[in-house]
Amino acid sequence: MQKDPEGNEKKYLHQFADFSNKRVLEVGCGEGRLTWKYAGASKLTVGFDPDYNALRIAQADTPHDLHKNVQFINANATYIPFSKETFDIAILAWSL
Amino acid sequence: MVHALDEIRRILKPKGVLIDLRPVESNWAVEVSSSSGYQLAGTLIDLPIAVADDEAAFSAMRTAEAHNWFVKKKEKEFAFFYYWDTPSEMKEFMEDEWYGFEKLEEDVFQKTKSLWATANADARIRVRVKMLITQWEKWWG
Repeated sequence: MQKDPEGNEKKYLHQFADFSNKRVLEVGCGEGRLTWKYAGASKLTVGFDPDYNALRIAQADTPHDLHKNVQFINANATYIPFSKETFDIAILAWSL
Repeated sequence: MVHALDEIRRILKPKGVLIDLRPVESNWAVEVSSSSGYQLAGTLIDLPIAVADDEAAFSAMRTAEAHNWFVKKKEKEFAFFYYWDTPSEMKEFMEDEWYGFEKLEEDVFQKTKSLWATANADARIRVRVKMLITQWEKWWG
């Protein structure tokens, strides 16, 4: 099975947000499928998800060149464990 | 959902951007696609749980907008395709992953098999998922 080989999701995501030098929070990152499509352009990307097993896959699949600017945390959106006004961009990734 | 949006508002900087990216129910099309084009085999049936999830998401965003937490800046619909090599692979995926949300009716499956069997050798099956991307800006006034 193949998802979005046309790359429409990545195309529109980048049309809707300028990730350069931004701090990004991805809500519901799962296994990081979407994360890899923009994280390289960001200053810092934090993906969080309540599914610990999905996060383990995301950690394992993190490309070497993204280790410095991508973090994954196990959390729920009812309490986001960051101080106020920390991020420039938040992404609801198939999660609302 | 509404509480989560309030949390997102809290951690965003003033004029920060919220991107809401998600599929929306619309009886997604099942197509047989090859190098010579594509043919419509039919559509999936949106099941009540999926429709209710959509309505809850839209309702949550309307509430956030009404509270002046976010202002909608722009929105776009686009197609997101799932591809399978065979009709059976598609059916198996749907039974595993979309059970309770989307229903593939037998007549659509049979039509898919017929179209695929007579299509070009490079034919694959795909579902055209309707996606919605919305850019919201944190209200800072």
